[in-house]
Amino acid sequence: MINSAILVTMCLFALLAIQARLLRNAIIHLAVLSVMAAFLYMRIAAPELAVAEAVIGSGLVTLLYLAALKRNRVYTIGVVGNEKSKHLADPYMHHLMRTRALREIREFFLIREYQLQIVFVPESRAEALQNEAYDLIIEEDDKGIVAYTDEESYIMMELEMLIQMRGAQSQLRFERLQPPAEEQELQDTAGI
Amino acid sequence: MKTERVSEDSLILQITIGLLFPFMLLFGFYIIVNGHYTPGGGFQGGGILASLFIARYVIFPLEDTDSEVLHSLQRVFLAAIMLVPLFFLFTGVVAQYPAWQKHYLTLMDILIGVQVGFGLGVAVLRFAFFQGSGQTWHL
Repeated sequence: MINSAILVTMCLFALLAIQARLLRNAIIHLAVLSVMAAFLYMRIAAPELAVAEAVIGSGLVTLLYLAALKRNRVYTIGVVGNEKSKHLADPYMHHLMRTRALREIREFFLIREYQLQIVFVPESRAEALQNEAYDLIIEEDDKGIVAYTDEESYIMMELEMLIQMRGAQSQLRFERLQPPAEEQELQDTAGI
Repeated sequence: MKTERVSEDSLILQITIGLLFPFMLLFGFYIIVNGHYTPGGGFQGGGILASLFIARYVIFPLEDTDSEVLHSLQRVFLAAIMLVPLFFLFTGVVAQYPAWQKHYLTLMDILIGVQVGFGLGVAVLRFAFFQGSGQTWHL
């Protein structure tokens, strides 16, 4: 009875690992699957195999996958709020997440196995551009959504091309900035 | 605004792995040394020792482990794994003195454990640091 329950749980975690959209979640599901298998070996009186399964399956292989994932990157998108959205940051973010442009961006990073992180920026745009923590700054104005990118960012070039191909450029516009050397100058014009 | 950063190292992970590190080492050696009468043994304990190398790489991806030295040590242990049974079995020491059997098994477990640990650890470090850089190494 318990053995069957363990087997069903193993199948469940295998399906979860296949269906996981983020690789990190899939790795953890596989580790749980291995622990379940080790437990099952314990129950059918094979402790030697259980130790091997626990060590190799859930320890070594999980760490190996995590080390491979270490080469993955986290991409942070900062959303600059306008005057009325400052007090309503969460509903504003939900509204923005549902727009077509943001969905396209998320799809783009998901395909490339980037860990995407979208945060609300309480500062003004000029301050956010100075901040090194954000890779991309997004702001909504009356005509649509503007994305401020670095000039030499090849990922953004790829994304811009994709957005143009999908015909969504009416919503999302890209504005290229100079490399950080000339950023001070831009800061001054933005202040005026 | 910086482009395409590699994700920063997490302080929580560093402290947790730092605290767990000696216990993992101890557990690995426990499994190796008690291999002859409890579940486990050289290979399983060696797997835990190898996972220490990978855990260290996941937390601090620094290229300061000298994998050449580890590789040479691992070869020495591999040679010992072949030579020790030759000595014990063909000279008939274990057959003459049955009390030595326990020590012989423990010795073999230790040799296999360290060899597997260093071998897998070196393999992973080489995968991690030489990937795509065009460097090769001889076996």
